[in-house]
Amino acid sequence: MVTALLIVHGLVAVALLGAITHQTLAAWAPANARKTSFFARFRSVPSAKFANAVVVLYVLTALLGAIVYLYFKIDIGPALERDRHWQALGLFDLKEDFVSIGLGLLPAYWLCWRHPLGDPPGRTCDALTAVLAFIVWWGFLVGHIMNNILGFGS
Amino acid sequence: MTVASVLRKFAFAYGPAFAVIYAVARARGFALMTVYPSLGIVLLGMHRSRDVADPVLDFLAPEMWWYGWTATAAIGALVVGLVAALLPDRWMCRFWSGWLWVIPCCAMIECVYLAIPWLRR
Repeated sequence: MVTALLIVHGLVAVALLGAITHQTLAAWAPANARKTSFFARFRSVPSAKFANAVVVLYVLTALLGAIVYLYFKIDIGPALERDRHWQALGLFDLKEDFVSIGLGLLPAYWLCWRHPLGDPPGRTCDALTAVLAFIVWWGFLVGHIMNNILGFGS
Repeated sequence: MTVASVLRKFAFAYGPAFAVIYAVARARGFALMTVYPSLGIVLLGMHRSRDVADPVLDFLAPEMWWYGWTATAAIGALVVGLVAALLPDRWMCRFWSGWLWVIPCCAMIECVYLAIPWLRR
């Protein structure tokens, strides 16, 4: 059951990673009219259309992660402490902190993309998206590190 | 005051407030609850296993404060957001929109600072 939850958590995280990466690149490096390369096509998506998906996927990923975290604390955490993986545990602590802060940002992020022509001015929307993208990438990579330390099913 | 402006004031106050309250809760240990997953119990407030058990038996009842810190921040930011939503629209003009991402970034840096003992062990 926990393994299934962890896999679903990972799959939803992959979808979130794709959506937020598309949106961030489209916001910060919009493609010109001639989309000649793969990278240009990758960042030529309509950014605002991703906001709803990002919010739903972020909340879903965080919820699944919060459930899996209970089992992590019982089964994985003590083993990592026993083997002195302090840096990995520190990185994981940061992951949970960043994810929480990202949760708090979601209402402002959503509203930003809902009203792109009004407030807030400047690149606030893009900056918020970049912060969320950093959090998602951090969470994804650290999650992978934690999973790989002990190995699947160990 | 339109619904859109009320929503905007709420959301733009909620994000930075959440980040600040979370960082303070994290640093000061203001967890709304402590979860003991191995025992299946939740206690209000911040508790440490070592308050009641031998330190070497800490692994038997690992405590989790992350849920408590998040709940503290969510409730605190909700109050701040509701208060901000009631403020006149003209007050929003004085709010630099950059705080929306600068404050969370500062909170994240503070979390890194708090994690340094783990990273340098």
